[in-house]
Amino acid sequence: MKKLLALVLALCMVTGVASALAEGFELAASYEPGERVFDGGEITTVKAGGGTGSEMTTDVYPGVEGKDYTDEKVYTFNDYTAELTASTNWDPLSWETADDSAILDYISTGFYSFAMNTDKSGYSVVNELAAETAKDVTSEYVGKFGVAEGETGKAWRIALNKDISFDDGTKVNAYDFEYSIQQLLNPKIMNRRADSYYAGSFVIYNAKNYLYAGKTAYDLIADSAANLIAAGTDVYLDMSFWGLVGAADENGNAAPQYVNIADDTKYRDAAVEEGKDEAWVSAKYLYGTYLADGMPYASYASQYLYTASVAPETKWEDVGFKVIDDYTIDFILQNPVEEASFYIPYNLSSSYLVKKDLYESCKKFWDADGKEVATEEEASSITTNYGRTLETTVSYGPYKLTSFELDKEYTLERNDEWYGYRDGKHKGQYQTDVIKVTVINEHKTAMMAFEKGEIDGIALASEDMEKYGTSKYVKYGPNNGYTTKLSFNTNYEKLASRGTNSQVLVIDEFRQAFSYCYDRKEFATAYTAAGTAGFGLINELYCYNPFTGAYYRQNDYAKAGLLKVFDVKYGEGEDYATLDEAYAAMTGYDMPKAQELMKVAYDKAVEAKVYDGQSPIEIEFRVYQSDEIYVKMFTYLNEHLQEACKGSGFEGKVSLKMTADADYYQTNYSGGADMIFTTWGGATMSPFTILYECYCDASDGSGQQMEYGYDTSKITVKYVVDGNEISDTLQNWALWADASAPVESIESKLGKFTDYDYDTRCAFYSQMEAAFLSWYPTTAVYYRNTASMDSQKVQSGSDTYVTLVGFGGIQFMTYNYDDAAWADYIANNQLVY
Amino acid sequence: MGKYITKRILLMFLTLFIIMTMSFILVKLLPLPAVREMGRDVNLILARREKMGYNKPILVQYYLFLKNVITEWDWGVGEQMYEGLNVWSVMMQKLPYTVLVNLYSILIAIPLGLGFGIYAALKKNKWQDHLISTLVMVFISVPSYVYAFLIQYFLCFKLGWFPLQLESLGKAGSLFSWRMFSSMIPAVLSLGFGVVAGLTRYTRAELSEVLTGDYMLLARTKGLTKAQAISRHALRNAMVVILPMIIGEFIGILGGSLIIENIFGIPGVGSLYITSINVRDYNFFMAMSMFYTFIGLASGIVNDISYGLIDPRIRMGSKK
Repeated sequence: MKKLLALVLALCMVTGVASALAEGFELAASYEPGERVFDGGEITTVKAGGGTGSEMTTDVYPGVEGKDYTDEKVYTFNDYTAELTASTNWDPLSWETADDSAILDYISTGFYSFAMNTDKSGYSVVNELAAETAKDVTSEYVGKFGVAEGETGKAWRIALNKDISFDDGTKVNAYDFEYSIQQLLNPKIMNRRADSYYAGSFVIYNAKNYLYAGKTAYDLIADSAANLIAAGTDVYLDMSFWGLVGAADENGNAAPQYVNIADDTKYRDAAVEEGKDEAWVSAKYLYGTYLADGMPYASYASQYLYTASVAPETKWEDVGFKVIDDYTIDFILQNPVEEASFYIPYNLSSSYLVKKDLYESCKKFWDADGKEVATEEEASSITTNYGRTLETTVSYGPYKLTSFELDKEYTLERNDEWYGYRDGKHKGQYQTDVIKVTVINEHKTAMMAFEKGEIDGIALASEDMEKYGTSKYVKYGPNNGYTTKLSFNTNYEKLASRGTNSQVLVIDEFRQAFSYCYDRKEFATAYTAAGTAGFGLINELYCYNPFTGAYYRQNDYAKAGLLKVFDVKYGEGEDYATLDEAYAAMTGYDMPKAQELMKVAYDKAVEAKVYDGQSPIEIEFRVYQSDEIYVKMFTYLNEHLQEACKGSGFEGKVSLKMTADADYYQTNYSGGADMIFTTWGGATMSPFTILYECYCDASDGSGQQMEYGYDTSKITVKYVVDGNEISDTLQNWALWADASAPVESIESKLGKFTDYDYDTRCAFYSQMEAAFLSWYPTTAVYYRNTASMDSQKVQSGSDTYVTLVGFGGIQFMTYNYDDAAWADYIANNQLVY
Repeated sequence: MGKYITKRILLMFLTLFIIMTMSFILVKLLPLPAVREMGRDVNLILARREKMGYNKPILVQYYLFLKNVITEWDWGVGEQMYEGLNVWSVMMQKLPYTVLVNLYSILIAIPLGLGFGIYAALKKNKWQDHLISTLVMVFISVPSYVYAFLIQYFLCFKLGWFPLQLESLGKAGSLFSWRMFSSMIPAVLSLGFGVVAGLTRYTRAELSEVLTGDYMLLARTKGLTKAQAISRHALRNAMVVILPMIIGEFIGILGGSLIIENIFGIPGVGSLYITSINVRDYNFFMAMSMFYTFIGLASGIVNDISYGLIDPRIRMGSKK
């Protein structure tokens, strides 16, 4: 009994001391992660050849030998879409969604297209609306349109295909292109796609000025805000800096995009609870508190502060578009196009043609009070329903829209007026006569329709893989370059304010341990349809050299960068003899190492007073929805994290909490989440832009960056370039590679990023990617891929994915059965896949 | 009665106006989703919103909204969904599908529900009653989308009796063609099971209670046959409770069912309201809110009036 009492007493004392310690614990007011310097290694540079770059190939796969593509039988491709609200706008000038563009892809043609080459190993350029390769005519415009003597690559002459016509047989010439681009840039319409010719890399001279003529245009500040204010210049804050565009002031007025930083009008920040600090904030407050010199986000001032100017009145004659003759047009650009043999066709792989009489009849004119008026001259704004109904749709592509039922079904049929059926360049293509697209929202229903032979292609989900994973009909392809990652919030103040101890996420080793604790391959296999283990920010689809189609991830520099991140050594005396061996063996999964790192993280957290060493830690993992697959993924990660904590002071104390949040990206942008799944992709021909645009543009989440609190302007990356050491911030290096704005500090020493050949660019870029990942603000989980099946009725052009061409699409699809034979076949046979 | 109805209708419009005002102001206080499109000029979207009057003071916006609705029946166009399409026109394109599927299901369900309910009440506590009651419990407990999946799998996929999805107008020819009707049957059955079960349960419960009333004994003792007593007295009394339920079902047909419509590819209004809230499309939200509010308020009036029609003892608006 005495022993028992003594034991209880001792236990009480231990507990008492522990709680006294805990009660006496005072959380650190802030946390500084320390200096972050990354060694980018030595780089020996090679300059690029310059000029138009290498020549593009033009050979095209000729189709299946002996197959009759023009017989009298009818071949229908039955497709489906899972979108709840299917296409509603396929106006080439204002379309919005991917579903809209699905229709547009069939009823329009670009100036150039990319087609499968003869042996289906890559892509070739095909002239479509353009009759031949664009010619550089910059010298003809010297002294005009901002063209200076000696410049090249700024003006491009396109000889038009003389056989273009609309689906009613009306012929198209250069003046139709001029009318169409005038409408695209019509300031009274403000078409959604107007920015196609001024917001990207293909900027038509004065296009934006014409669109915004007489209206206020905002430009990023070119000097410090303090200097501008001192000089009496008004400076404006882009309210998206704080996610406040459209937020209401006390009178219910919505916050505009740009607000003068002297303006003290307060707007309600919905991300903050009413009554708490910063529930109501003004542009003046945000500037003074965060962006002014010496304030926490002063380094972002150049990205969120603007000066305003009224766009000059610009006549159409001053816009960089000229009709030379009935079948020749010139584009005069603001910036030169380099490596034009690829980038001109790439930038002009779509087009913007509308039919004048129909477009005019679809316009409605409104005055400033919203009252309808009779003419365009009287109107202050114009709306149009062009491309919204069957009657207001016209085609100049291989198919024409013949029926449309909102949210139910649409049908496209062969457009016999399309030049491609007669020009001899499209032989062995377009066997399909009819395309029918049905809206099927439920995947299970779509699967049944596929198995019954009612639809001819299906995207597989993870639950289908057990049944169809090994089917010979399955095609695997990358999903537009998307990488799914875990992104962590590392803003100490935001995390600590939650009271869940999730601020341990600021400890680098904690996140590193998290990165090592899950098996990417196992995860991808178990929870995705066709995903593969992901390691880098940039996935396997990205091409770094458009002339060869070479993949970034297969480049030796890029491989070495990831091996550095995951600390996999190769070479003499190391675990792996060669880089390729090491790369093939890399898993990113090492539980013992994760457990060791957790011990370090625990000690560091306690020492820095970001954690009391005792209390439970709850890390909120926000996900889009809490369906079965998310629950499984969450459970997997939670179990592995807890396993990683074993043996450390964190053992039994750390847990993930899943919260479903349909706006989880927005929550994350304001620092409201501890961690989320993030996914970036797209623009797969431009790997060198993704780091800046997605990962380095704002550490507070007010830009595109989702790693809240991870400030790349505080990371130094140093290279030894041709024997000279050069250091700069990761943010600047990434901007240099992005090439969207000059970076004087680097360009003064190295010139432009695009001055170097593609391998040299990879050498620089792979180290930037590694630098970003080295402190684990995010950790890749899997590269997204798609798995799909074609029905036995059809045959894709290629069984393997080809960059820019995919599997060949409708263009190269062939048929094993015509409609009648297929109906007969499925009536008498059970389809087995 | 006429005065009562007039008063109720006027009150309905007052209530509608109050709800509309509150809805408008509250939804406008929610900011539109932030515009984030990498490499795109967000000012074009902001210009579109400006053109739609979204930057004007809320009360000015409300005035313009009211003016457009009252003078031109113009509910605006979609901004976050069905961009640029007329809100009322989209609703009217989609509503017939929802109405038809639900109407068919009710028209089939009412006789079945009443029939089973009457039969169960007449066979109270016998095996027939137990069987019906058990089935009723099953059909009430299991959500309709479960039947939907089962019906779709067995009747449409395995047996091939019906198409997996509703036929398109292009194929069916018209909304009222046999081909369209037959393609609606799976959805009609899925929706109908619950209604049949509900009606059966109510009818059985009410009729069982009525059948034990003293006046039923009186009816039989004064010489009426059992069938006469049931049809003339019991059923009529039971209907005081059942009929409002049936009217409620008819009103509900305008609401649609998001899940059933999704499963069977019915392009109805089932998803419109919830989507408009999720994506914060002001115009669709307002149009849908007012539509359903009106239906709800009107159904209240119709329900109340129906009591008087079924039971002459109930006098609406009478002060005596």
